[in-house]
Amino acid sequence: MARYIAYRVGMAVPLFLGAALLIFVAGHLAPGDPVQTVLGDHYTPAAGAVLRHQLGLDRPLPVQFARYLGDLARLNLGTSYVNPGLRVADLVGHALPISLRLAGLAVALATVTGVLLGVGAATARRAILDSLIQVGVVVGLSLPSFVTAAVLVYLFALRWPLLPVAGWGAPANYVLPVAVLAISPVAFIARIARASVGQALLEDYVRTARSKGLRARRVLFRHVLRNAALPVVTTIGLAFGNAIVGAFVVEVLFNIPGIARVAINAILQRDYTVLQATVLVYTALFSIVNLMVDVSYAYLNPRIRY
Amino acid sequence: MFLRAVAVGAMLLVAAVAAGPALGPAGGQAPPMFRTPLNGEPPTLDPYFAVDSASAPIVFLMYNTLVSLDSTGRLLPQAARSWDISPNGLIYTFHLRDDMYFHGGRKVTAADWKWSFERMGSPALKSTVGSVVVAGIQGYDAYQNGAAGIAGITAPNPTTLQITLNPARRGGFLNRLAYYAAVVVDKDVVQRGGNGWFATQDAGSGPFVFKEWAHNDHLTLASFPRYYAGAPRIAGVSVPIVTESQTQLSEYLANQLDFIQVPLGDYKRIRADPTLGKQLLTYPRAQVLFLGLNPRVYTAFKDLRVRRAFAMAIDKAKISKTVFFGFFTPANSIVPPGIPGFYAGYKGLPYDPAGARKLLDEAGVSGKLPPLSIAMNPFSPVSQMMAEPVAAMLKQNLGVDVQLQKTEFSNFIANENKRTVYQSFMTGWSADYLDYSDYLDFLLYSTSPLNRQSYESADFDKLVDQANAAPNEAQRIAIYHKAEALAVTDAPMVPILFSQFAYLKKPYVQGLQTTPAVNGWLPFSGVRIVK
Repeated sequence: MARYIAYRVGMAVPLFLGAALLIFVAGHLAPGDPVQTVLGDHYTPAAGAVLRHQLGLDRPLPVQFARYLGDLARLNLGTSYVNPGLRVADLVGHALPISLRLAGLAVALATVTGVLLGVGAATARRAILDSLIQVGVVVGLSLPSFVTAAVLVYLFALRWPLLPVAGWGAPANYVLPVAVLAISPVAFIARIARASVGQALLEDYVRTARSKGLRARRVLFRHVLRNAALPVVTTIGLAFGNAIVGAFVVEVLFNIPGIARVAINAILQRDYTVLQATVLVYTALFSIVNLMVDVSYAYLNPRIRY
Repeated sequence: MFLRAVAVGAMLLVAAVAAGPALGPAGGQAPPMFRTPLNGEPPTLDPYFAVDSASAPIVFLMYNTLVSLDSTGRLLPQAARSWDISPNGLIYTFHLRDDMYFHGGRKVTAADWKWSFERMGSPALKSTVGSVVVAGIQGYDAYQNGAAGIAGITAPNPTTLQITLNPARRGGFLNRLAYYAAVVVDKDVVQRGGNGWFATQDAGSGPFVFKEWAHNDHLTLASFPRYYAGAPRIAGVSVPIVTESQTQLSEYLANQLDFIQVPLGDYKRIRADPTLGKQLLTYPRAQVLFLGLNPRVYTAFKDLRVRRAFAMAIDKAKISKTVFFGFFTPANSIVPPGIPGFYAGYKGLPYDPAGARKLLDEAGVSGKLPPLSIAMNPFSPVSQMMAEPVAAMLKQNLGVDVQLQKTEFSNFIANENKRTVYQSFMTGWSADYLDYSDYLDFLLYSTSPLNRQSYESADFDKLVDQANAAPNEAQRIAIYHKAEALAVTDAPMVPILFSQFAYLKKPYVQGLQTTPAVNGWLPFSGVRIVK
């Protein structure tokens, strides 16, 4: 297992290099330019040239890329082009924990709720409950987050002022964004959990366990859920990805100073250094989550060996 | 087993999150903080570079100028208690206050002003603020070519600052000094702080002091107890960075903000609302919204008759009424009301579709014009709201097919600067400082980098030069009016509307003063919160 993990971490290096190169090239080839964006209507070729030189943007692209990689190897993410007083590492270091906490909470909420609903639907004696949950799943999957956000803000912040509209800092600030981020993952975790629990319930070993006289609850927890867990765990990994991507809408709507907002600003302002750093952060996040999912397979299913 | 593992995992996660260090205080602030948002993260807080809509208002609150403007655009003394102007109009002697302090505690002296203005105009810094404020001072050109300082600025004693102007570029000097970025900075802070000195402190002497800048989240300013005009009556200004105007509106409705700009799409609804309608503040903004015509890309615009025909085919009054419910008013001239010397009563080019078609006939292009594309500045939805009716009018009145080109800001500004990309563009220009030169010199002078229409008229340039060398303001404005009328009839751009500010202000906020310039308000030194 240790060897496998070491292998996967080693594989991440070319992945990072590839991501770094891709985003570097894409960023610099995209139309628009950080110097003119920063100077806006006060741009003059002379002022632009001074700023371009200060930022090193007047050097050939390969030279800029080599310098960027050299800095990266020394774990130096550089300073923002748009706000040269700002170290990118500080910017990311401040924003990333906020987004991780948001995504972590949303995934936790989605996992607990989704699994409960899925198991509930699969084991429901009355088909009406199953149907209700199924309808809820379809609704949850279909609603875009900007719609649910607007509805929740209207209800719980304006109609009944229980929660803040937007902002960050207080525990109450977490409630609405986490709920919005969790809705779609709840739906697809519930759907997968329902399907895989439903399938496991039909297995021979379940019939055997029942025929031995085990109580239904024990059968469910001991035999069904563990066997049904693999697809659900994969889905939780996906849910994390979903929460990270969903943050691009949620952080803007709820005015949360997380990494997605940093990324959006960087894209709009062509702030290359910041943009590159956020892409690397996302690459790292997705690699880590995938690795965790793969490793958890071995734990959940003894037949899987790496 | 699995369910339990999930539940335990979730609980651990919740615990980890709850214990997280950045959870911070519950946002509880002392009651008399004044809360107003910014639309985006300021790229800088160095006053000589803070010329964008996010940086400018913050700098405006922390620094002082020699002279300032009141709500009606009248010049007032600020750091200068008074000033004398020599009979030939070239030597300005400013008598400075001796009770103005930097936030670090040191007294502001005439030497500080000299140092600040030389930093502003420094050839190494290339600040555009310098080219507005100090470029008209004697010795500026020599300074650009290596002289040690600007010879025309002297500080004979700590409370006297003398400035000698270059006769050819003397125009509007006091108005330029009232530019919010023409401020004095504490050289100790700037020199000691190195690059990015402004990230953790300010170097100002204004009513508010830099306290905190949490990037992409908020800025906090505290009031300055030793402010020369008396300490502000609020504890400070809390400035969350809220990029979405709808979120700003929701936060205002939920009493999390005291003062916000109204999203134009909600204006009508807010005006009709019995409660919110009373909190609505509207007043003229020194902004012109216009269609720039680029003859370098759409060659038909090289013909004056074609440009004029396009200008005459746009029904400004109709756009004003139907799209902007009369809130934005038709622009007959280029320089908006609120700028001293506004050309009131000037009629400009009429809306005359038949006359416009006749001009196209004379030019021999009637029915032969290729489709025109209008690029829209995405900075505000207003550009699109104007471009859509303009497209319909050009089609209906001149038979020209128009496509609207949408892009994002970074791309738009880069393409505009290239001048060889857009056939025409819908955009706007707002005042940095309230002076004719901020419009005509910048937007239309042949060598100005902002002349994105590539307008080249020797007559126009000559008039602007004359205005800048005019011995007094009245003569200067008279010459500018001639230049403006020439530019309107030459039609390198079609001024369409003058805009207005619309703000929502809570009833408990008192003493707030507005201005047609910048973001629409004067520093909150007189603001009180009366609950």
